[in-house]
Amino acid sequence: MANEAAVSAIDVRAAPMPASASASASRFDPRRHPWLAALAATLAVVGIWIATGTTPVALVFLWQWTPALLRGLLTNIEISVLAMALGTLAGLVVGALSLSPLRALRVVTRWYVQLFRNAPVLVLIYFTTYVFPFELRLAAWTVPFPDWIKVVAGLALPTSAVVAEIFRGAIQSIPSAQWEAAQSLAFRRGEIFRLIVLPQCLRRMLPPWMNLYASITMSTALASLVGAHDVVDTAQIASNTVARTDFTVLVYFTLLGVFFAYCYPIARATRALERRHARH
Amino acid sequence: MTGGSLLAQAVAAIKPLGLNYAFLLDLGERQAFLRGLVVTFELCLLTIPCSLAAGVAMAAALTSGRGWLALPARAFVEVTRNTPTLVQLYCAFLVLNMLITRQLEGVGGNPLTPFVWVVIVVAIHKGAFHAEALRAGIEAVPQVTLEAARSLGFSQRQLLWRVELPLAVRFALPSLVNNLVDLVKMTAVASAIAVGDVTYESIMIWTQRDNVLELLLLILLYFGLLTWLVSLAGRWLEGRLRMPGYGQ
Repeated sequence: MANEAAVSAIDVRAAPMPASASASASRFDPRRHPWLAALAATLAVVGIWIATGTTPVALVFLWQWTPALLRGLLTNIEISVLAMALGTLAGLVVGALSLSPLRALRVVTRWYVQLFRNAPVLVLIYFTTYVFPFELRLAAWTVPFPDWIKVVAGLALPTSAVVAEIFRGAIQSIPSAQWEAAQSLAFRRGEIFRLIVLPQCLRRMLPPWMNLYASITMSTALASLVGAHDVVDTAQIASNTVARTDFTVLVYFTLLGVFFAYCYPIARATRALERRHARH
Repeated sequence: MTGGSLLAQAVAAIKPLGLNYAFLLDLGERQAFLRGLVVTFELCLLTIPCSLAAGVAMAAALTSGRGWLALPARAFVEVTRNTPTLVQLYCAFLVLNMLITRQLEGVGGNPLTPFVWVVIVVAIHKGAFHAEALRAGIEAVPQVTLEAARSLGFSQRQLLWRVELPLAVRFALPSLVNNLVDLVKMTAVASAIAVGDVTYESIMIWTQRDNVLELLLLILLYFGLLTWLVSLAGRWLEGRLRMPGYGQ
């Protein structure tokens, strides 16, 4: 009641002066749009720097190196996407095998999962880098085997082990009563799996899978240690080339910021998905 | 001498399988490898309690209910969780360490070694994960329990130490152990800044001898052993700290 009265009072007061009402409605509130406010502030600072010619030297160098850093980041993203794709495919197969009725198969997959889950990612990357040959000989052709592909293989191994566990956990989290109920409705085994179990599994697997992607993306930083030209490697080259203390500080913290900017939204989306599933 | 000849026999026995462990017969390389094993073990031994302490401190800040404490802690945890350990190590070792060295040039040099930086970075990195696990544990403490403790005159600090944390640790124990297993694996990153851990010493050996597969098997075995020990200790603790009325 009181609210309505207040609103109508404002309406009455605002009615004769539509100009001021529209001005107050479109007024920019920085608390509502923190990103816009930050962007505007950054643009203003950069504008002042350019206009007065007082841009800090380290930032000028950073701007020069930005294209190279972005190319390096693209390498990281390519590695992470490929490793995730390969690892997911292999992991689904391994996960399915770990549920097989054959005991020998279950034992073998169990060992595979244990081995690659408990091995440090860095050690696996060294493994694939130094054990795999530099080029493959297929009959007459020699296919080069660049370092970044080896890193993909090194990251795909732990990915497949974790995906297998996620898949197995998701399947086992479906109550067995659903299998029985579906059987009593005369569904065949394949149909139950395809139409009833799998859709629920996919929904359950998505948040941990996204988590895994974020963690694999962060692991791609290790590629710089085995000679792949990723963003960390580029930052090191930039730091050594420019050889200024302030630039070194800036470029390494930029690196931190770049990874955060890529991984944090994924983490937020994962949490949002988890919350949504928790409600259902 | 018999020990040496036994080792030589073992190496000779494995050789037909295609695995050449001849480096074990070289005194210098064997000692380097053993030193690497010890350094990795020391890293784990030091980093685990440091990470737990960091985790408790961050969890206390996160759940303190004071905005000026909780907000920076939340930001710190999010940044730490969502950036690669290697980049954090570079930011700490190549940047902060350099700045500290510059500052302390006149007064006796920088006391912080690469080993210490690995302990600091890995402890803080995993501490952030511990903090999240503990926060979830603290939030799972029933409100009624807290009210009862408050009505018995517990202060805010006593509440945290005597009621919330003991319960939160029990709720969070599985994920804490999981984090510690991750931590053991993560110490391999020390090789990136030439701390002489097992990975680094192995690289030194295999660049000389080209016996990558043999050494990798040993490394994997060693990390398998360490992670198994951690999970064993975790399971023992879970049994020790089990609460009646929860779980099986």
